Amino acid sequence: MYPWYVSPFFGGLVLFMLLQLPAGLFSDEDPRGHIPGVHAPICSAPSPDVRDLQSPQVVADDLGHPFPLPAETPRKIVSMAPNITEILFALGLGGRVAGATRFCDWPEEAKAIPRIGGLVDPNVEVIRSLDPDLVIAFRGNPLRLVERLRKLDLAVFVLDIGRRIDDLFPLIERIGRITRTEDRAAALAGALRRRLRTADEALRELPSKPSVFVLLYGQGLWTCGGESYVDDLIARAGGRNVAAAMPKKWVLYKREAIIEDDPDVIFILARSTADFTAGRDRLVKMPGLSSVKAVKAGRIFEIDENAASRFGPRLVEVLVRMAALVHPERFGGAA
Amino acid sequence: MSLRSGRRVFWAAALLLGAAGLLLSLLTGPVRTPIGDLARLFRDPDPVRWAIIVDLRLSRAVLAFLVGAALSLSGAILQGYFRNPMADPFVVGVSSGASLGAVLATALGFEAAAFGFSGPGLLAFASGLGLVMFVYALSLRRGGFKVETLLLTGIAAGALASALTSFFLFMRSDSYDQAVFWLLGSFQLADWGQVATIAPWVVLCLLAAVWLARDMDLLALGDDTAQALGSPVRRVRMAFLAMSALLAALAVAVSGIIGFVGLVVPHWVRILIGPGHRRLFIASALAGGTFLLYCDLIARNLLPAELPIGVITAAVGAPFFLYLLHKKR
Repeated sequence: MYPWYVSPFFGGLVLFMLLQLPAGLFSDEDPRGHIPGVHAPICSAPSPDVRDLQSPQVVADDLGHPFPLPAETPRKIVSMAPNITEILFALGLGGRVAGATRFCDWPEEAKAIPRIGGLVDPNVEVIRSLDPDLVIAFRGNPLRLVERLRKLDLAVFVLDIGRRIDDLFPLIERIGRITRTEDRAAALAGALRRRLRTADEALRELPSKPSVFVLLYGQGLWTCGGESYVDDLIARAGGRNVAAAMPKKWVLYKREAIIEDDPDVIFILARSTADFTAGRDRLVKMPGLSSVKAVKAGRIFEIDENAASRFGPRLVEVLVRMAALVHPERFGGAA
Repeated sequence: MSLRSGRRVFWAAALLLGAAGLLLSLLTGPVRTPIGDLARLFRDPDPVRWAIIVDLRLSRAVLAFLVGAALSLSGAILQGYFRNPMADPFVVGVSSGASLGAVLATALGFEAAAFGFSGPGLLAFASGLGLVMFVYALSLRRGGFKVETLLLTGIAAGALASALTSFFLFMRSDSYDQAVFWLLGSFQLADWGQVATIAPWVVLCLLAAVWLARDMDLLALGDDTAQALGSPVRRVRMAFLAMSALLAALAVAVSGIIGFVGLVVPHWVRILIGPGHRRLFIASALAGGTFLLYCDLIARNLLPAELPIGVITAAVGAPFFLYLLHKKR
């Protein structure tokens, strides 16, 4: 009645299996294999005797992907995020960074590094041409892109972005571990920890926690929700983020909500003082905001967006500044 | 110029341009490649050069060609199917369904890979095909079949899927950047695995379409006439619908949504070589592949940062299309 070839079910299964053959040839056997026992993040500093072992050690990155530890510090490192670049420079590895994103502008020397593109659009071809022996990526890079780099036989290590300031130290130690600069990383993390501890001590047994509203540079009333590490910074600085209950990283806030929250302090994340002044003037002129405590008391302050938006070593200084602005009484009254 | 010699010019030009485009793809990119590097590729194997030319550029060029061929073949089939030049693979809901799947996968962090697809690719394929099947099932429900019903159902279901897509994008604003690559299309992450995944299907659908091309010619005379002339109309229609949906969903799954190719390339080809479907199908696949190959060349070389390819297909394709359309009329 019908020619066989228009019968929709004829041989469908056989065909499907045949056609999937070539795809099978190219797929990795173990696309995200977990190695038992090394899944736990290596947060603590490794003991020296472990480091002297001859056999190559394998650690797992934050995606659980196995990563053979190099015997010595890689010569050519590609950094796929500005905070990673910053940490590499802080570990004295600036000269070994062969490629960085166009956002990697700190420290000043980082601007001279060959660019690989952006965070979500780094160029695979450029990365491959640099022939790096280590690529450090983070969760914000598209995972498909990370997979693509792995298929080109590049050693890729993926790091999570932190949720809390305390995640910074293991992050630094982890980067120290895979670049075999464990000692320097431990020293850097130790120094930052001590700096943080002095702030913690200054803020001990606070009678009250002032409420804080953070305004992100740009259009609209963007602020940081409870999932952002900025929320943790504010809490650690002895404040209370008014948008902490929002289950997001970045939220578009409502003007009425600010008036109702009546924050004691407002921080504006700005790239320059001119941007800060413009942002403050815009905020103050909004109808109804003149009644807000922070506006009446003139407690609107600038926070360096460049430092605050990167989960790197400068975050500790940002935190100390926030703490001094929220609790000037604990920091000798200087704001 | 007679149609016959026009055809000869078309085939020669398409093949020549295709070969030239392939060569250009291998030689251009952010990393400078002198032509001597191609010659040295086999004589003096260097892992970096091999990775850039073969693993990155060649696989990308082949994938762009295959996706272009799939989209424009899918468009050629649907335009014949609906006897309507406005039809294109995305009108029936493939793109909206697929983008919903991709955005959902990104938002939920679904990353498992299978059959050479990435997580979002897999979900895009499934939901693109799923939405089309839903649309077809809905409009074929009562035995009868009307082109208008199918098109309108596709548009409405597509709008619903788009609304959900925007909703998920809004809820997870941090996945927005990644979703853009799906919504505007990109071959940035092309690899041989993707080529191997879609190549057999594209070839198979092309062969089947060419095989059934005579029945498609008969459909142009009307379903009743075609039936009277001995064509199994219902079965032929089912086969063509399935093929066009499969081709478009595969294309979206590996490269995101690339508009305009499926709508316009079959038109160019029809203007240049006439309406016979056997020739039309082969020529559409060839021309669509070549067209997308060049669009990808522009997308990755025009600016230091890569452009989404959907921007290029429309910007390059539309003026040429307008010219052809008005020159003929």
